[in-house]
Amino acid sequence: MNAVNVVFNNKEKAGAVQGFPKPLDMVINVLPTHLRKKIRQLQPDVLARLEELRLRQNRPLVVGLSDGDVFLQREGGLTKSPERAYIVDADDIQRTTQLVSNSSVYALEEELKNGYITIPGGHRVGITGKVVAEHGRVKTIKYISGFNIRISRQVLGAADEVLKDLISPQGEVYHTMLISPPRCGKTTLLRDIVRQLSNGIPGLNFPGTTVAVVDERSEIAGCHRGIPQQDVGVRTDVLDACPKAEGMMMLLRSMSPRVIATDEIGRMEDVEALEEVLNAGVKVLTTVHGSSLEELKRRPAIQKLLKLQVIERLVFLDRSRGAGTIKMVMDGITYRPLGVKRC
Amino acid sequence: MLKLFGAVMVLCACGYAGFSMARNYQQRPKELRCLQSALQMLETEISYGATPLPDALEQVARRSESSVAGLFALTREQLLNGEGITAREAWDEALKQFYRSSAIKAGDAAVLKALGAGLGISDREDQVKHLRLAREQLKIETAKAEEEAVRNVKLYNYLGFLGGLTIVLILI
Repeated sequence: MNAVNVVFNNKEKAGAVQGFPKPLDMVINVLPTHLRKKIRQLQPDVLARLEELRLRQNRPLVVGLSDGDVFLQREGGLTKSPERAYIVDADDIQRTTQLVSNSSVYALEEELKNGYITIPGGHRVGITGKVVAEHGRVKTIKYISGFNIRISRQVLGAADEVLKDLISPQGEVYHTMLISPPRCGKTTLLRDIVRQLSNGIPGLNFPGTTVAVVDERSEIAGCHRGIPQQDVGVRTDVLDACPKAEGMMMLLRSMSPRVIATDEIGRMEDVEALEEVLNAGVKVLTTVHGSSLEELKRRPAIQKLLKLQVIERLVFLDRSRGAGTIKMVMDGITYRPLGVKRC
Repeated sequence: MLKLFGAVMVLCACGYAGFSMARNYQQRPKELRCLQSALQMLETEISYGATPLPDALEQVARRSESSVAGLFALTREQLLNGEGITAREAWDEALKQFYRSSAIKAGDAAVLKALGAGLGISDREDQVKHLRLAREQLKIETAKAEEEAVRNVKLYNYLGFLGGLTIVLILI
């Protein structure tokens, strides 16, 4: 009887998710059932380009694709016209709140303070609503009214192109900074560099090394309850949701890493902690928002870091050929491009 | 002979009806007390552990008396079945089934239903307030139920039997 049941269930499951990309399943499970159905019915090529889903109460449901955004149509499918779009109602928002939070809003105090939640699969859900502040600091979000569900896709091999420039002939990892405006694939690239350094790169004769990640915004490893949901490599330790400066010091003391990776350096204290790491002989991988060297130099914290003349590689990204286009790799000491500029 | 058999049957039936009425009166305060301590556990899980609701419900179900554990176990089951229902809907459904099989009265169920409406949707302080309120109300109901039990248990135990005896006497 049991065996029959199992077979039957499997069949049913296979039927339900036929042609439906698996990572997306976890994403749409935070939506009410009728919306799940509408998303499931979209064309496979649309689903492949899906980057985010935006729910705003009493406004159309926006489907963000890699080449612009459209609305979900009331009777299914996509549309450009707001009149025919599906309007998100209070019930949708309430259900999504419950599903995102696992019916436990009270367990998400920290997450609500930051304004986002990481769900299983490593996807991020941004939240807006009425903020309750206490002594000038955000305490929580009440009356949640908007969600931005960002689908995180791991691109295995995203770093293939740059890795050879990031490892010295002696097999040392260079101190590296990845630079681009938002949504250009910095984090995706960083994640893949971390994964490959951690696993080892046979092509470059690079044995795997211990990598520690301070994942303040839970984006690199996409941890859910402390467990990385993305493949970050076999020799990688992750400190999830930890403030960068403190986290780097903690990892330095506790995990004796060879490489420390962190996302979005910007504040002075981050740079100070980085200095400490640099002086401890540990290699640094980091990202920063910006589009050009000139722009970076205008930011005091980054300027200070660049003045130290220790970051050996600067990698610039943009969207000229889709997210994750590597525009240029630059020597951080001489400011000379290494690779030919690819435009 | 047939008369005697009939008389015994009537006596037994009435006696049983009386006993089960009495048992209901006995059972209700017991269940209400169990519910109170279960809600206390839930409060601890939520306020100190910040345990996600499905896990918290599982803990409570495991540690509660079997008479009330079903309510929490069933709510959890409903929540995890992936149909995208809210905690309130899961709780309401579980409560409906629990109500049918338990000794609690409509008023007690209303207290629980009101609790379910707020379950899991607000911050810790607010959840604790909701749970405390429900517990306070159940406490009052428990006191009332105990009073009723004292008054009614003996009454129904005798009434069933004596009622049966009266019927038998009239019929004979």
